[in-house]
Amino acid sequence: MKHENFHQPLVEMKSISKFFGHVQALKKVDFSVNHREVLGLLGDNGAGKSTLIKVLVGLYLPDEGEMHFEGKKVQFSSPQDARATGIETVYQDLALVPLMSISRNFFLGREPTRKIGPFTFLHKKAMDEACERILNEIGIGVRSPSENVEFLSGGERQAVSIGRAMHFGAKLLILDEPTAALSIKETNKVLDYVLQARERGLSVIYITHSIHHVYPVADRFTILDRGVKLGDFDKADITPEKIIEIISKTKA
Amino acid sequence: MNDTEKPSKFSNLWKRFLEYREIGGIIGLIIISAIFAFLSSEFLSLPTFAAILTVTAELGVIAVGVAFLIISGEFDLSVGSIFAVASMGLALLLNAGYHPSSALLITLLISTSIGFINGLITLRAGIPSFITTLGMMMFWRGVLLAVTGGFTISYKGESVLINLLSQRFIGDFTTAAIWLIGVTLLFEIILSGTRYGNWVYATGGSSAVARAMGVNVNQVKLFNFMISGLLSGFAGCISFGRFRLVDPTLGMGMELEAITAAVIGGTLLTGGYGSIVGAFIGAFLVGMVRTGLILAGAPAYWYRAFIGIILVIAAIINIKIKKKVSG
Repeated sequence: MKHENFHQPLVEMKSISKFFGHVQALKKVDFSVNHREVLGLLGDNGAGKSTLIKVLVGLYLPDEGEMHFEGKKVQFSSPQDARATGIETVYQDLALVPLMSISRNFFLGREPTRKIGPFTFLHKKAMDEACERILNEIGIGVRSPSENVEFLSGGERQAVSIGRAMHFGAKLLILDEPTAALSIKETNKVLDYVLQARERGLSVIYITHSIHHVYPVADRFTILDRGVKLGDFDKADITPEKIIEIISKTKA
Repeated sequence: MNDTEKPSKFSNLWKRFLEYREIGGIIGLIIISAIFAFLSSEFLSLPTFAAILTVTAELGVIAVGVAFLIISGEFDLSVGSIFAVASMGLALLLNAGYHPSSALLITLLISTSIGFINGLITLRAGIPSFITTLGMMMFWRGVLLAVTGGFTISYKGESVLINLLSQRFIGDFTTAAIWLIGVTLLFEIILSGTRYGNWVYATGGSSAVARAMGVNVNQVKLFNFMISGLLSGFAGCISFGRFRLVDPTLGMGMELEAITAAVIGGTLLTGGYGSIVGAFIGAFLVGMVRTGLILAGAPAYWYRAFIGIILVIAAIINIKIKKKVSG
């Protein structure tokens, strides 16, 4: 039974359409992500990448089409809803509160507690320990979990967000332009975390318009253009140059 | 090898020391008390300490609520008016023959409701709380002056409960000091040691992130407006217990003193960062200046000038330290 499940995609979106007034942002897009797969979702600005993901995590309702997660038909009504099912999104700017410590951020909204008499307190020791252990496991040497996030670099912040998603049992990790604002060195680190997430059995949707960042880590690519899917390509069948050609040709 | 390790260890310790949110207030406290100790031989004594705690009590209790609200990203300029409304309300209820316990309960309920209204208007209408509570500050002050006709109201009765609000307790220490310390500890524990406190920081630090992580941001803010109202009302009751007399202009300017105390204690006006113990230290510093100037024989007029300078210096120290720690 479990084996059977493994062969069907983790996520399957069928014939998704989305209108904003008279503008059709998505035109019957089929989209799927397999288990333990890093999928590069590519396309120029306005291609529909964000709209597709917002439909997936329940921020937008699709006007047409249906979604399946682990073989079951689903319709999320909010990102919280999607998160509870195991879909975690890491936004560039909306992930962490800079003025709070790493461990306070890590557990925000899901804080472990302990009871002393009738009162419930934060379990700070458990928070710090778990946070430090997980971040060490995925290989970021954070100096101390009680350090404020404002002192972390962009790459370290991505790492904390990704580590948090892994810790809370995400099955699908969505990264929205995770390396857009990073140095080359930090970009490589983040790509390393992506591979580690796959090692641990997660699937990753990596949204970007820069093929060179995602190409080394992705297994497959889906290319969108003005709301239409141009195709799915296995990495073995396509070169980065060919992908750039496909994306830029449609612009003309 | 060892030589290179030692200074870094020391600088680490120094950095950790500077990381304390209350550090600006503590440094200010030490410097100001040194000055007053030099100016007056009576300054460094237990009775003076007890006196400072007593005059600090009302401002301190208000400052705790104000700091708690500022950390969640909102302001309350109506605290001085709520303070006076509560004091007056308690006086009127007692003079009308209400039992002290029910008079006290009704007063605190009214204060909390005013905070609730502040929050509801701010969050529903989407206007800055600075404006809402500025309007409410004027509104309640006006109501107070209209209802009393500008006259002072006093209370001649005796009640154990009212005595408990502010009376001598051990030596020169008063129960008001106990209330202040109790309120400070309670809210410091809530802020730094509970899930709710974590949400308060997150709400003020970045409400968009907090919302994305499933924190009910509006509920946190509304609740903190109510806390600010409740504590202002409670401070009004303490004041009434001390003087048994209410002037309708009571507590004017208190909102700015409370913000001053919070800022001296390391709270950022932009939200997301601050300390309740810091607000206590800030209020204590204000009370200390008030007492110290009297002991030093300086005219009371100098008090505001002094506080103004301390506020600006403390804010500069806090910002410099924050930059140093992050650099």
